[in-house]
Amino acid sequence: MLCKDYDFPIKGFIDTSFIDWKGQLSSVIFTGGCNFRCPYCHNSSIVLHPERIENVPFKHIAGHLRKYKHWVERVVITGGEPTLNKGLSSIAGQLKNEGIKIKLDTNGSSPSVVKGLVNDGLIDYIAMDMKGPIEQYKRWCGVGVDTKKIEESIQFILEGNVDYEFRMTVVPFLHREEDVYAVADYIRNAKKFFIQEFKPNNTLNPAFSHIKPFSPEKMQKIRQNASNQLNITSQDLQIKILACPEPVY
Amino acid sequence: METTDLNLFVRTSEETILDWDRSKISDALVRETLIDSDTANEVSREVEKMIRKSGIKVVTAPLIRELVNAKLIEKGLESSRRMHTRLGMPIYDVDNLILHPNKENANVPHGPEATNLTLAERIKKEYALLSVFSQDVSDAHMNGDIHLHDLGFIDRPYCSGQSLEYIKKFGLNLPHSLSMANPAKHPEVLLAHLIKFSAALQSNFAGAIGWDAINIFFAPYLEGMSDDEVKQLAQMLIFEFSQQAVARGGQAIFSDINIYWEIPKHFVDTPAIGPGGKFTGKTYGEYEKEAQRFAWKLFEIYKEGDGSGRPFFFPKPIVHITEKFFHTPGHMDFLYHISDVASDKGNTYFVFDRGETAKISECCRLSFKLEESDLLDAKEPWRMRYCALQNVSLNLPRIAYLAHGDDAKLFNLISERFELAVKAHKEKRSFLEKLLSLGEDGPLSLLTMNRDGMPYLRFNLASHLIGMVGLNEMVQIHTGEELHDSRKALKFGLRIIAHMNLLTDKIKRKEGIKVVLEQTPAESTSYRFARLDLRYFSPASGSVVKGDIASGEVYYTNSTHLNVKNHINPIERVTNEGIFHPLIEAGSISHVWLGEAQPSKEAIADFVIKTFKHTTNDQIAFSPEFTTCNKCNRTSRGLSDTCTYCGSGDVDGITRITGYFTKVSSWNKGKLGELKDRYRNNEFFFEKQEKAVNE
Repeated sequence: MLCKDYDFPIKGFIDTSFIDWKGQLSSVIFTGGCNFRCPYCHNSSIVLHPERIENVPFKHIAGHLRKYKHWVERVVITGGEPTLNKGLSSIAGQLKNEGIKIKLDTNGSSPSVVKGLVNDGLIDYIAMDMKGPIEQYKRWCGVGVDTKKIEESIQFILEGNVDYEFRMTVVPFLHREEDVYAVADYIRNAKKFFIQEFKPNNTLNPAFSHIKPFSPEKMQKIRQNASNQLNITSQDLQIKILACPEPVY
Repeated sequence: METTDLNLFVRTSEETILDWDRSKISDALVRETLIDSDTANEVSREVEKMIRKSGIKVVTAPLIRELVNAKLIEKGLESSRRMHTRLGMPIYDVDNLILHPNKENANVPHGPEATNLTLAERIKKEYALLSVFSQDVSDAHMNGDIHLHDLGFIDRPYCSGQSLEYIKKFGLNLPHSLSMANPAKHPEVLLAHLIKFSAALQSNFAGAIGWDAINIFFAPYLEGMSDDEVKQLAQMLIFEFSQQAVARGGQAIFSDINIYWEIPKHFVDTPAIGPGGKFTGKTYGEYEKEAQRFAWKLFEIYKEGDGSGRPFFFPKPIVHITEKFFHTPGHMDFLYHISDVASDKGNTYFVFDRGETAKISECCRLSFKLEESDLLDAKEPWRMRYCALQNVSLNLPRIAYLAHGDDAKLFNLISERFELAVKAHKEKRSFLEKLLSLGEDGPLSLLTMNRDGMPYLRFNLASHLIGMVGLNEMVQIHTGEELHDSRKALKFGLRIIAHMNLLTDKIKRKEGIKVVLEQTPAESTSYRFARLDLRYFSPASGSVVKGDIASGEVYYTNSTHLNVKNHINPIERVTNEGIFHPLIEAGSISHVWLGEAQPSKEAIADFVIKTFKHTTNDQIAFSPEFTTCNKCNRTSRGLSDTCTYCGSGDVDGITRITGYFTKVSSWNKGKLGELKDRYRNNEFFFEKQEKAVNE
């Protein structure tokens, strides 16, 4: 059964991406709407006014996926916050039927949705954004958040039922270095934790577009220190974290 | 009146001041032209009269010559005037040249050596147009119907590809050199021979110097060396090539090294040559591990970059991806390794040898499919020496303006221009034949040296290249659609290239010379054609040329490429551009411009494998952009006006110009226009958010 477009408003589509799914070619679907208001978000129109952006028909996406079948076997669903949309599991199911692997980007605010998708076998990879240390979540994401749910999502993801990564964008003035280490400590059992540089363009809070990102050296130092917080036993994973000088999300 | 009464002194070209002597004029006329001595005398008398009447104080030989030429024209002796012409440059131009950098070829630095090169090139270019080529060919070049590449190097073949086996077997024994070296016993010495021979070849060819299967042929010398020593050798090789900007005209040697992970089938049973030029008793098939070790280390060096982390410009590493590659252990690790370099530094060229064909790459994109006879050569690889004598490009958009939408006219004009290009090839060929016939005492002695029963340059096997510029614009003018606009436009483009491909076959049969299509690198040609068409075909050309007309940064799209500006998904680009590649025998390439984005090595590898499996694309390269700081000597990703590390404005941009990396500050205007237009696939690599908002 085809999902109704209003159940799952798709606000953007990239047919071929080299970077959204590490290590693989993928397509990317953007959903509208978000329950967070992170001031440094550079996707503000999709967050604030999704209704002003025209929907991309799912038919169009399915057509593309078939056309590039031999090339792209993966789809990244990102947002906004995809888990807010009722039609997510239906869309995921349809993609799965086409033999496509799915990665979900989420802020972790809907653990039940994530659990449901994972338990139904609809998701192959989860990337969860860590906005900052749990205690001050409101400061990082601009709205009051039920941090219990965030913690529940983290715990569930850490169980490792599907492959996953955590990631955090570091914003000067908003975050202090210690905040990054606190996050790293909190998820110290994680397999992967990517620390990303902030890019000051089109930020949700216009004031943030004047903030200069940390220098490459400083970012490298932060990554180095953060990796010391993690309980990584495998040499290989250690390298993975260090060898990501310029994450490109 | 007696000549001496003139009391004139002539400043001659031999740096002497001589008394006036009218007979010098008539002697020169008789010696250099076909006119009889009476006419010559008459001309000289009239010129003398003119000079006397003018009251001129300082007479120079060039001035006299020009006055004589004017007289010859007055008398209707035009062909004699041609033969009597003097080649040279106005003082204003020389002044400019000595002071300001050359932008025609970004691989020429600015300095006294480079100026020498440019001055010599100017004169040889004029000489070529006046004396080597017939009038119609020269005119077609001058007005931009066709472009004869590297006219300043008229007395050399265009480019070459060879194997290390030649120097391994024969040492470095060059004609007229001050000392001769026996075959190398140590890897470092072999490396020194390789670099010196490359420099010697650079002085005898206009363009690229390619080396086949370099890691395989080095392998017998590497036995017993530690990994660190092999890495050291790899580092020496790359630095030696990339810092050779002290050779001809201060230019770096435009060098390619071909690298294989596996031992290609045609070399598996080839007896290997080792230290001292002796056969080791093993075949190259048995040196796979050593060859792989060297290949790996070479890419470790590429990944590190130079002293300030910049990518190496030369030698260009060309990795052959074959069916056998995928059946060779460790291939995925190697593919990730070279993809990592592609993403980080951009050096890697991925060449796809599908099916059973073996190929040797030679120039920017020039590769040769090895034929039956070549495979026999592969048993004695020192014989594998290839060259192209010349490269001529057709101005395709020009033809479309002239055809006025008429298909028959369009194809006829293509054939006509093609034949003109072939004529140019035959003229250069016979000129080179003349030079080569002088043997080891002639100007091309290096190419005639005979160490294995035949001259170094195997003239009878030489190729002649015909390239194309602006297929995209040709189709746009003729059909109203660019290549990426519709299936129909793409198919029409394909028809044109198929027609040209057919013409090469016809010529081969008719003339007995090997003419092949190639994708012209067209570093300055696409700019030149666009400029000339703006002059001769306005207003029609105004809406067709790409770039910015107001600033003069205009260009035509290179060869059969799709519009660089267009938002084309990289899959579609390599697929659709790849459709043309099987028809372009001498090799093709598709560029994926990365800009600032740095995809993971796994994603690049995935893309490479799929390009091999699902397209007919011959070669791809990923091109990132960098900003290197002249103050703090650090290099960061992306083109920017200031250094991201120290904020200094004293920075240089670095990216791929056509077939090689170079500093953006040295680019010509046409290429600068293209750089601004290059669609960097950011949508696919980088700013997903932008796209989402725009959708």
